[in-house]
Amino acid sequence: MTRLQVPIQSSTLKNGLRVVIAPDTTAPVVTVGIYYKIGFRLEPQGRSGFAHLFEHMMFQGSENAPKMQHIKLINSSGGVLNGSTMYDVTNYYEAVPSNALERVLWLEADRMRALKVDDENLRNQRDVVKEEVRVNVMNQPYGGFPWLDMPPVAFRNWANAHNFYGDFVDLDAATLVDVQKFFRTYYVPNNAVLLLLGDIKPEEGAALAEKYFADIPKGATPPFADPAEPPQKEERRGHVEEKFGTLPAMAIGYLMPQRKTPEWYAMALLDQALHGGRAGRIYRELVLEKQVAVEADGGIDDIFGYNGPTQMTTRILHKPEYSSDKTLADFDVVIREVQERGISEDELQQLKVKWRSDYYSTLEGGRGGYMPRYGLMHLLACFTLFDNEPQLVNTILDGFLAVTCAQVQEVAKKYLRPENRAIVFRMPAKSEVKEAA
Amino acid sequence: MATKAAEISNLVPALTAERPVTWPKRTRTRLANGLEVVLAEAHSIPKFHGELFFRAGNALVVDRAPSLGEMTATVVRTGTAKRASRQIEEDLRRLGADLGTSAGQDTSAVSFAGLSEFAEPLLQLVVELAREASFPEGEFERERRQKLEEVKLERTSPGFLAGERLRKVLFGTHPYAQISPSEAQVAAYKREDLQSVYRQIYTPENGLLMMVGDFDPQAMLKIIEKVFATWTGKKPAAKETSAPPQLRARRVFLVHNPGSVQTQILAGCHAITRKHPDWIRLGLTNSLYGGAFNSRLVMNIREDKGYTYSPRSSVNPLQQHGYFSVSAAVRNEVVAASLTEIFYEIDKLRSLPVPEAELADAQNYLTGVFSMGLATQEGLLSQFSTVELNELPVDYLETYRERVRALTPDDLMATARKYFDSANMQIVVVGDRKQIQEQAALFGDIEVFDTQGQRLDK
Repeated sequence: MTRLQVPIQSSTLKNGLRVVIAPDTTAPVVTVGIYYKIGFRLEPQGRSGFAHLFEHMMFQGSENAPKMQHIKLINSSGGVLNGSTMYDVTNYYEAVPSNALERVLWLEADRMRALKVDDENLRNQRDVVKEEVRVNVMNQPYGGFPWLDMPPVAFRNWANAHNFYGDFVDLDAATLVDVQKFFRTYYVPNNAVLLLLGDIKPEEGAALAEKYFADIPKGATPPFADPAEPPQKEERRGHVEEKFGTLPAMAIGYLMPQRKTPEWYAMALLDQALHGGRAGRIYRELVLEKQVAVEADGGIDDIFGYNGPTQMTTRILHKPEYSSDKTLADFDVVIREVQERGISEDELQQLKVKWRSDYYSTLEGGRGGYMPRYGLMHLLACFTLFDNEPQLVNTILDGFLAVTCAQVQEVAKKYLRPENRAIVFRMPAKSEVKEAA
Repeated sequence: MATKAAEISNLVPALTAERPVTWPKRTRTRLANGLEVVLAEAHSIPKFHGELFFRAGNALVVDRAPSLGEMTATVVRTGTAKRASRQIEEDLRRLGADLGTSAGQDTSAVSFAGLSEFAEPLLQLVVELAREASFPEGEFERERRQKLEEVKLERTSPGFLAGERLRKVLFGTHPYAQISPSEAQVAAYKREDLQSVYRQIYTPENGLLMMVGDFDPQAMLKIIEKVFATWTGKKPAAKETSAPPQLRARRVFLVHNPGSVQTQILAGCHAITRKHPDWIRLGLTNSLYGGAFNSRLVMNIREDKGYTYSPRSSVNPLQQHGYFSVSAAVRNEVVAASLTEIFYEIDKLRSLPVPEAELADAQNYLTGVFSMGLATQEGLLSQFSTVELNELPVDYLETYRERVRALTPDDLMATARKYFDSANMQIVVVGDRKQIQEQAALFGDIEVFDTQGQRLDK
């Protein structure tokens, strides 16, 4: 068995900015990422959607790079850029020909040092974000299903339960004062990690990080609200109307074990057994065998990328001639089967090979065709910010490969219980379908 | 203003010396049975990515039914003479592999990726699917019923409805007009039709096997010869197709999607294929117009006016014809305003030469992102396949950057005049007619359709 080893060098600047460098000279391209340890989970109450709106504002101008400069300088250097807001982190990243590296670092440092935006910028991006929400959620069949539908049903702590894309009234209420406050609170070097991947020498990367970022003042340690959930004691259910789609849908989410515990590793392989494509038990049973469902997929979304309560979520679109009750009952048969009989040694071996293979692809993989090493960047960032241990990239696979059949069965029994799950039914507005009880 | 150039701070570090871009060497062979093979090394991870292409797809068999090539591909993976569906899926997992079967207008393909240590058994499964698919009756029937639900569902997606209508308008009776079947057409799919498409298209003489990854090409070639050598089959005869319609004057096609809280705009006109000598200059012109974040269209209707999140223009090359299109999902109130800006930016490119500095920026962008694909096996596979499937010159990748850099402002203006056919663009809008019809009708004669494709009264 070939094991992939990624060379990594990490250090911390005096202002607390962590720097992780992973050299690889395959192509004359360098990927630069900055991750801030703040996502939509812990955005301010009364300001739902703010972390994401703020991410847009980071492209609107900084001290020495006014609006449009950031995008223009990266594109005109032959590079691409983007940002995304997740539960517990927000990232900004660029892939450029390696001769543009210094320019990228200058830009990222400039906007870490000072954001320079005005009301006009805020109005503009508020409009853009509203169209983003319309195109991805309000005007799409099954838009936001289940990632926006599930949290208010499954969780009780506002941090986990609110609308992450933002209620429009909250987006409208956001002010420049909020923007600068959020920036000062969370966008400090000691709450971030800089990642340099690809065509760069470690000593060169370290020197450049020092050159561009070292003089940014350290900030106060950001306050983080506690995202812990009160213990769940009963199955939770919710209903959402589907405005456009033709098929009844449901999502079933089970609370996950704590990160990096033996149960968590076992849960990941159980997830693969249940949701691993057409070989996965749920797809096989509901789509291929019983033919109740048209789609049945999901699983643990971005397993390394969260740092608080999360679920393993199955997403099902089923045929209108079957009721929600019947579909859920068929789903439960799959769950009971794995709880009662566990999985065979042969199945576990298959799951481990697939897990290892997928893991390599995650490390290599881009985002779209033009963002090389996005996966490696994301894992290094999360392992640094959540665990202070970027080297986990090279060792975490061991935890998954050590899982036993008995452990998989145990987590199935312990975590796949009704009182550990939440179900969202998304029913077409104009359907003659029998409603779930 | 949309294209106002903000001052560039003199603090911005200059670009350092460019490092050379070197594309991996490709090993090209043709097996005795006619199968073309192209291999390239890329050692980023201990895996490989591959694709077995066949040079025909939905377009070749559209007279039997739309998307029949795609349906054939779907059922191909569900059984062979040696393995049942469940066995296939479990074997893939055992090898740590991913596999997909698909068809577009011009190609059908089995794509795959797996661990280098299991290359041979994965290739055995690939050839089995390509050669001995058994089209089990039960699997076919299930996939047909699935497809019925899918074609109902896709009619609720604004993006699908816009694309479907534009293709019908641009291509008329040409096969490219059909991107999806109706429910009645799916209901009429027959297993025998799929088998006949399979026999016709899935042959080694019609095939191209591409692999990129962590392997030694000579050793991999030996495995390929062993696995693929005894397979035989002829290339299908090409088919005459009707010419797409000549489109004169702007026309508007409104797809009425009741309750829409946004309008999907998609406008387009005929352009060219990748083989055309103007392809590269069209690519650069498109990139500057609306193909990049830093493009005129995005800066105007997103960053300046906030009408939309996702404006984009693209050049869409099919094998026989190509087309240019502009898309944006906009607020219902600004449909007319958005179309005005879309045409303003097109007309400006047709009327005024692009400033040298802006041209240089666009050239840098296009040549830079072109090299990004070098970093991953999948990226390389995609670039190499483009060259092979379109029969582009063997040094296409190696010379692309210098050809982009040689273009001038005059070249771009001439290209915009030739291919951004402003006066004859066909405009599709998908949204709630009560809110947008009056605005849309400002841009040309209007026809209104429902989401099922039926004409409604104006």
